[in-house]
Amino acid sequence: MSLFTGPMNEHLDGHKELTAHDEVLHLENPETVWIPLVNGAAPCTPLVNVGDEVKVGTKIAERNDHFYLPLFSPVSGVVTAIEKKMTASMKMADHLRIQNDRKGTISKPFAPIDYENASWEELHEFVKNAGMLGLGGAGFPTYVKYANPENVDLLIINGVECEPYLTADYKNMMENLKLLKAGTLAFHKLSKAKKACVSVKEDKKDLIEKLKETFAGTEIEVRTVKDVYPAGWERTLVYMLTGKRYDKLPIEAGCIVNNASTAIALGDAMLNGMPITKKYVTVSGDGVAKPANVVVLVGTPAHDIIEACGGYTSDDCLLIAGGPMMGSTIPNDQFVIGPASNGLTVFKNEPVKVVKCLRCGKCTESCPSGLEPVRINSAEKVKDIETLKKLDINSCIECGLCSYVCPSKIDVTEGVRRAKRYMALVK
Amino acid sequence: MKLSFKPSPNYRSPQSTDSIMRDLTICLCAVTVFAVVYYGLAWGMETGLRVVLLMVTSIVAALCTEAVWFMATKQNVKEGILSSYGWVTAIILTLISSVNVSYYGLAISTIIAILFGKLVFGGFGQNIFNPAAFGEAILMSSFAASNRTDLMTTATPTMVMKGSNWIATSESLAKTVESFGGFGKMLLGGYTSTIGSTCAILLVLCLIFLIWQKDIDWQMPVFYIGTVFVLTAIIGLAKGAGLGYGLFHVLAGGVLFGGVFMCTDPVTTPVTIPGRIVYAVGAAVLTVIFRWRSNFADGVLYSILLMNMLTPAIDKLFDGNQIKDAGKIRTRVLASTLSCLCIGLLIGMFGLKTTAEESTSGAAAPSAEGGAAAATNFGAPISLGNDFKENRCEVEEISNDGTQAVYHVTARGFGLIDPDGIASSSGHEYKRNEAEITIDLASKTITNYTLTVFGDTEGIGDLATTEEAQQLFVGKGLSDEVDSVTGATYTSESLVAMAAAALNAASGN
Ligand code: SF4
Ligand code: SF4
Repeated sequence: MSLFTGPMNEHLDGHKELTAHDEVLHLENPETVWIPLVNGAAPCTPLVNVGDEVKVGTKIAERNDHFYLPLFSPVSGVVTAIEKKMTASMKMADHLRIQNDRKGTISKPFAPIDYENASWEELHEFVKNAGMLGLGGAGFPTYVKYANPENVDLLIINGVECEPYLTADYKNMMENLKLLKAGTLAFHKLSKAKKACVSVKEDKKDLIEKLKETFAGTEIEVRTVKDVYPAGWERTLVYMLTGKRYDKLPIEAGCIVNNASTAIALGDAMLNGMPITKKYVTVSGDGVAKPANVVVLVGTPAHDIIEACGGYTSDDCLLIAGGPMMGSTIPNDQFVIGPASNGLTVFKNEPVKVVKCLRCGKCTESCPSGLEPVRINSAEKVKDIETLKKLDINSCIECGLCSYVCPSKIDVTEGVRRAKRYMALVK
Repeated sequence: MKLSFKPSPNYRSPQSTDSIMRDLTICLCAVTVFAVVYYGLAWGMETGLRVVLLMVTSIVAALCTEAVWFMATKQNVKEGILSSYGWVTAIILTLISSVNVSYYGLAISTIIAILFGKLVFGGFGQNIFNPAAFGEAILMSSFAASNRTDLMTTATPTMVMKGSNWIATSESLAKTVESFGGFGKMLLGGYTSTIGSTCAILLVLCLIFLIWQKDIDWQMPVFYIGTVFVLTAIIGLAKGAGLGYGLFHVLAGGVLFGGVFMCTDPVTTPVTIPGRIVYAVGAAVLTVIFRWRSNFADGVLYSILLMNMLTPAIDKLFDGNQIKDAGKIRTRVLASTLSCLCIGLLIGMFGLKTTAEESTSGAAAPSAEGGAAAATNFGAPISLGNDFKENRCEVEEISNDGTQAVYHVTARGFGLIDPDGIASSSGHEYKRNEAEITIDLASKTITNYTLTVFGDTEGIGDLATTEEAQQLFVGKGLSDEVDSVTGATYTSESLVAMAAAALNAASGN
């Protein structure tokens, strides 16, 4: 923030109290799971056939293009079908349907590793084979980030969780401090960073205290950031912690950023030899009867989770995969929780009074990418290609903040998306 | 059970355009209430009531215009009115008018402001000009003649300063300020100006409230008011009037009101912060230049209207990515604001001439007595046959030898309320001027004019009281005209009124 820009972020009411301090609901025994055979936009190849028996931990699919990522079965049972279904990002994709035999037979796909004494290469190979991926939403294979770390000044374990309503990371950290510690130390080793920190919002007093206890005596610092959105976005977080901006990847600013729940998953893999089969998921919002954090198996349909949380509270709801800022509404609840899902937000669908843009400039002041959404919207309306080129629309991360702050309740973000789509066609 | 689709995000800030307009309305109401109380106490109940009625007139005119428009364009009238915020325009328009404006002038200006200032552009959010400023410009240019003249005829601080082309020495500034009750009273608002721009403290409180509520940015008002202060304070220091000169510029006239309620109108100002800074500095420099060099007593209105026209260009100037183009943005802001400031300073240093300096700089300087200050510049003539009722002259014959008569005349000048002064029709006391005038009874012309008591603002009005100015009256009769003194119009008028009163007495009228 300088004299000439706005804050480029905004404090918003997280409504985290709805779920932060309640018991976690364990729903770890669904009848059927559907494992999406995608990672990001890339398809994964199934390694099992219909009719095959699988155990908890059996490798069932892998991504094998320029990146490698194995997927593991979260249940024991029988593969009954490969079906097309809609994913949480509203794309059709193949899903592996597995019937749960409810025996919970485990077959550990890899042995635990002693990260302190393992060599860097061994540890890196472990992360790759254990199928670690960015659990903050991106789902990007983790080993790639650490492929050849050079001149890393700071490793940031991101526990900021800036999406309103979501408390899954918070709960996960609170309950799995030991795993978090192991994962963080291992990532520190992998990153060869001079310094490392775990970063959380300054208002999470209880968590901060526990983290300090946990990391006492290690090189890991606990660093807090202001309670603003999008403090958890890599660029904003790096800027808040180091004052540096970068063009494409955080490594340009000497940073590697890794989600805290990924660190916990790595801890679980290293200490217990377990791959990612479960997720902490926040179910919240005024559209669901009993908001709660749940632990569910990867592949559990949203519908079952909502039912377990008391069902919908209104006849017309918005079901959002993720938090309300970046998550998209999905008009049916049959999609399943993927490894990168961390929330389901449900709102009553209430009408919004939209008025004309009053050119208040709030969107330009809060855009974390430094864009001018109102200018983009008005240029898009008249299809002014020259201006749109100048406005750098592709830097928009669709964080949603411009729509959030807009007092006229215009779908500003959607206008920017429209501009992106239009410019993609023009080029 | 239905799951609907809406594009993300599906989470909205509690702040709405309605809430912004509500806060703005609250602040404007506070300013209005203050104005009603002040005018009521200082100028009598009717004047206080007049403020209320003017406000009502304007709001009704605005809402009716919108209702008719929405009916004519077949839109939902209630929704249209509620999302057009015409009352805000109406209240601001009333507050930047003088209490003297006529009801119908204000009503018609409001209608024009709403219709041509806003609705024809496509309504709220689409207009180029600040509708209230647009309306006020119409009101001042087209309906000035319909103003009440008998209601409140005291000069506003900007008019007094305009009288001397905004030139002041530290003494004359101190006297001007004193005549309005000192800076303290100017802060509290105990003087007349436009209806809304009186109580500086109240305006600052509104500003703080609106910024705190995040209804407006701090940059715009702070840079606007700050630039006016810095620019005029530098000139004040350079020209010997001191820092107080800067303070006077800020407190007098519409700078604070404009800075809080008009510069911050989001619709007609740029959408980026750098753009807003450039806009504010530009408007501030223009305001000051208008004050110094134009015929308007105050420049706030026109500077805002001019900058409104530049808004699209300023927005274009800062198109880009605020992070990636930060260097370019900084250069552009600095280049444009500094060049504005330099122009302001240059005009201040070299273009700011007293009426005296201006006339001496011409080739045919009148024979000045005793230095530059004595030179007098003459303006529009005033006819001695005019009606000077408002000056409330009283004539007393001192001597009459059949050929010549000497009269002692008193008249009110302007300046402020003074217990020893003379009452105006609104029941207020003004400082008085007194003169002894000798008239040749045969030709009914003046042979000698001596000002004995001078009650107007020293350093300002006394331009009209030089020997030279008094000499003008010699040989004049009722059918003649006397040149007024530029920069001291009110005092000139008072002097002419006394001459006319003496002549009338001599003629037995
Ligand atoms: S959605 Fe895009 S344009 Fe809007 S605030 Fe976020 S990054 Fe900026
Ligand atoms: S926040 Fe909304 S009303 Fe304000 S400038 Fe942006 S689009 Fe317009």
